Amino acid sequence: MTTTAASPEAGAQEALPSRPRRGAGLLRHVNLPGIAFLAVLVVLWELVVRGGLLDFQFLPAPTEVLDGAQSLIEGGELWSAVLHTALVAVGGWILASTLGAVVGIALGLSPALWRWTASSIELLRSFPSITFVPLAVLLLGFSYKMELVVVIYASQWPVLVNTMDGVRGVSPGLRDVTRTLGMSRLRSLRTVILPAAASKMLVGLRLGLNLSLILAVAAEIVGNPQGLGYELVFEQQALQPGRMFAYFIAIGLLGMLLNALFQLAVRWLMPGVIAATDRKG
Amino acid sequence: MSTPNALVTPGPAADPADAAGQVAPRPSRRRGKPRTGGIPPLRGLLPLVVLLALWQLFGAEASPYFPRPSSWVDGVQRLQDNGELIPALGATTRSLLVALTIATLVGSVIGIAVGASRTIDRMLGPTLEFFRSTPSSAMVPIAVLVLGFTDSMKTSVTVIAALWPILLNARASMRELNPTYLDVAAMLHMSLARRIRTIILPGVLSAILLGIRVAAPITLIVTLLVEIVTGIPGLGALLSRAQQNYQSAQVYGLLVLIGLLALLVNAVVAGIESWVLRYRPPS
Repeated sequence: MTTTAASPEAGAQEALPSRPRRGAGLLRHVNLPGIAFLAVLVVLWELVVRGGLLDFQFLPAPTEVLDGAQSLIEGGELWSAVLHTALVAVGGWILASTLGAVVGIALGLSPALWRWTASSIELLRSFPSITFVPLAVLLLGFSYKMELVVVIYASQWPVLVNTMDGVRGVSPGLRDVTRTLGMSRLRSLRTVILPAAASKMLVGLRLGLNLSLILAVAAEIVGNPQGLGYELVFEQQALQPGRMFAYFIAIGLLGMLLNALFQLAVRWLMPGVIAATDRKG
Repeated sequence: MSTPNALVTPGPAADPADAAGQVAPRPSRRRGKPRTGGIPPLRGLLPLVVLLALWQLFGAEASPYFPRPSSWVDGVQRLQDNGELIPALGATTRSLLVALTIATLVGSVIGIAVGASRTIDRMLGPTLEFFRSTPSSAMVPIAVLVLGFTDSMKTSVTVIAALWPILLNARASMRELNPTYLDVAAMLHMSLARRIRTIILPGVLSAILLGIRVAAPITLIVTLLVEIVTGIPGLGALLSRAQQNYQSAQVYGLLVLIGLLALLVNAVVAGIESWVLRYRPPS
């Protein structure tokens, strides 16, 4: 069995044959029962907090969260925080993906290189990335550079490992075809190897995107005085639950938005591959 | 190249081709590439060993940024001497195990229930999608404010973070359970308990185990983050304190220790998974 953390994702797809998706994405159908349920949930939350059924000192009612959100939008803090976090998460993810894909392709193509490095990679990769935040703070101080380094470090692993697995998994028959046709290495990579490895790479890219947002927020919470994570902690210390929940919801929406954009981009750029990566836990 | 090699040197250092999916050896293949998966050979650790050796040789003993590896041991040794290390290790491991257990139980039950009904599934869809996309790290400050600096706060946050992979996997696999099986159960007038035991659980078991494998590293990450942020006892708290006191050797030492813990956790989870699924043919 495989030891890569990314392969469960791939395994899930193999184990569960995907039937045609209903309501793919949020955009295709408006899910009325779903929205109604959310609305009921929010009303219930309001009633429970107002009625004093839940006795938490700092649990805001939805109306307070709304007030908080309004004050943040009017003050302009929300947009600058969202922009910062989104830029670092997406920018870091792009850099990490490039790095991970290049290294992954190299390791996938060369069995010798793989044999002499793969164990090191497996070992380093299984270190919980969050522990590098204090180290990065130590080395780089409380800065956006620290955040970026942490994001890149964490989100390149899934891309690297999945690319490597994908390229190594290309069937020997396909490789033979490229050799028979006398293709150059570059050409065979572009026309045969990468398309064959694409669905696996997409799984890695998607995992990497999720990780980059998680790590961006974590780095901001621990040690970068900018962005959504920092604002969360700031409002927590200022005892402003309404505003804090507003930031929290903004982070969730940002996560949903990034996922949706990723799926749209994949569907648009590589319509054939989507079936394998679309449905994921 | 693979077959003779594998015969001579079995064990983890053997060529991966024998461990992986190549069923029938193809003698004519000159460069029979190993398929995906398989355990990479141990000699792959060499670059890491070389790096550490060079670091040890050329690194300064008391560098504030890159202290040499031998000083890492001293850094951790100091924690061991004042009796902080073992309790911290215990606290982190305990909260990891507790959170994973609770998340597995709750996630499986909710996931199966949601996946069993199209209506409920559609109703909860957007809510689940929101929480799935919310980075687990963002939960930590919320929980700190609402629940305070307590151990139960730590457990709640980690459970919530670990819940999603398990829940969503159980839900997806329940949704894709062959409906004929359930029809058979209905026809045989099986009781609900029997239905769960003989049809539903075996159907979703491998998906749940997969979810646990994904959840385990996430749980460890969130546990550590809570400890780093709040200083609630654990390895994360030690790490954060070492960083704040510029004890770089200790930071590196703890980092290695946490990495080993993560490796151990992954290995145990994978071991449990393959033990539970030992009678199943690989898919």
